[in-house]
Amino acid sequence: MDSDTAIGGPHDHFPSTQVSLLEATAAGVSSEAMDRVIALYWKPVYRFIRLKFRKDNEDAKDLTQGFFAAALQREFFARFDPAKASFRTYLRMAVERFAASQYAAANRQKRGGGIQIELVEDQQAETEPPEQGFEREWQRQLFSLALDDLRAHCDGCGKQLQFRVFQDYDLADADRPSYADLALRHGIPETSVTNYLAWARRMLREFVDERLRGTTSGAREWRAEMGRVWK
Amino acid sequence: MEVSDPVLDHLRQVAALPDLTGTRYQLESEIGRGGMGVVYAARDRQLDRRVALKVLDLALAGEAQLIARLEHPAIVPIYESGALADGRPFYAMKLVSGARLDRYLAEHPTLAERLRVIRRVSEALAFAHSHSIIHRDLKPQNVMVGPFGEVYVMDWGVDAVAGTPAFRAPDDRLDQRSDIYALGGLLQFLLQAPAPPALRAIVAKAMSVDPAHRYPDVAALLADIERFELGLSIEAWSEPLWHKLGRFWSRNAVLLWLVVAYTLVKFLLFFLRKA
Repeated sequence: MDSDTAIGGPHDHFPSTQVSLLEATAAGVSSEAMDRVIALYWKPVYRFIRLKFRKDNEDAKDLTQGFFAAALQREFFARFDPAKASFRTYLRMAVERFAASQYAAANRQKRGGGIQIELVEDQQAETEPPEQGFEREWQRQLFSLALDDLRAHCDGCGKQLQFRVFQDYDLADADRPSYADLALRHGIPETSVTNYLAWARRMLREFVDERLRGTTSGAREWRAEMGRVWK
Repeated sequence: MEVSDPVLDHLRQVAALPDLTGTRYQLESEIGRGGMGVVYAARDRQLDRRVALKVLDLALAGEAQLIARLEHPAIVPIYESGALADGRPFYAMKLVSGARLDRYLAEHPTLAERLRVIRRVSEALAFAHSHSIIHRDLKPQNVMVGPFGEVYVMDWGVDAVAGTPAFRAPDDRLDQRSDIYALGGLLQFLLQAPAPPALRAIVAKAMSVDPAHRYPDVAALLADIERFELGLSIEAWSEPLWHKLGRFWSRNAVLLWLVVAYTLVKFLLFFLRKA
């Protein structure tokens, strides 16, 4: 029997690899912290800009790119005060301020090549509020990155079968197969299906928590974010 | 790897469920959640009984040991503590049936019954304080009243919990007097309007902004409640003379009515003799 399928089998935690944003900033490795932030937040920021400012694909990409480039140059982390807001809220508000300043600059240029910004409130109502879209995209991206981590972990330690079982069941968009069908498909006992799923879900949770750890200010915010994700 | 909305919802649900592999428990359903973790109803397969299983955040591993030290009739007993396969700590405790205090009030209990509940809560709190444990998050949602009138104080806090705004003391550092503030908030919640002025004074003293003006300990607050119930003067309130007289009258009503009746009869006889 595979050791991971044993009842109460090994508690294979991985060591924490991600330090909090504040620790990263204090250690002077903010570019690495910024990489983590960009990996997690590029899509949510892009979606927020599209929804809030009704930008088309290219303009939204430019604005998103511009925002992160500006954030890198302007000591973005150093100005973050965890006592005032969560990092996610701080970042979203920074995007709004950045877009507003772009709007003012574009007005000054009298449409002379600057990016045109138009608040969506002035337009017809969108199907999803921008803040909600930002939040949803953040969760989607968080899980997406954690799933990449999980797949890489499975590839690295020879657990591709566990991942395939997990993929066939938990990542199925349409109807999920029964455990019996999965067992037949992969030539394993049905009990292994449940054990593989339990293991993969546990690991996924750890990877999600780990990603969160690297993009929050410290233990308190990390716990609050975990509470938000797992509620 | 792209994730659709339905898959995201599914993953959030299944990955959040505690993996009870290797434990004696079988998950039934979620029954509550708070700042420190989630509580599930589960079945203990070995003893064939239902229990409440609280799964905590990783950072709160000390909570189970903390609560296990508290053996008191008004504190939910812990059966066992351990760690899930993912490292999260959990503990199994008695599955309490009954109503949370906020729902219990909907049954319109009498003032005497409400004061009995607050006395039970105070006793549990005083016991915990004697073991140097503070609750940190005392509020109606953390008190249960069982079908036989038993009272349980739940969700004993740890450092990570900073209290619930309406019941949280405005203190920089939480200590026993912060719990007294919350206890005052709980009494206020139980009293509802209109409350006797003496009880309102107890609430006001317990919820003083300055901790030095609160009761020095839970026992002092409890003593004031008991003195109120006995019709005695309380520490929290220097009552006006008319109120003292009224209290004296109500405490000695039978005797005083006898004296009044005797006096009236004497007067009556006096005038009858004169006539």
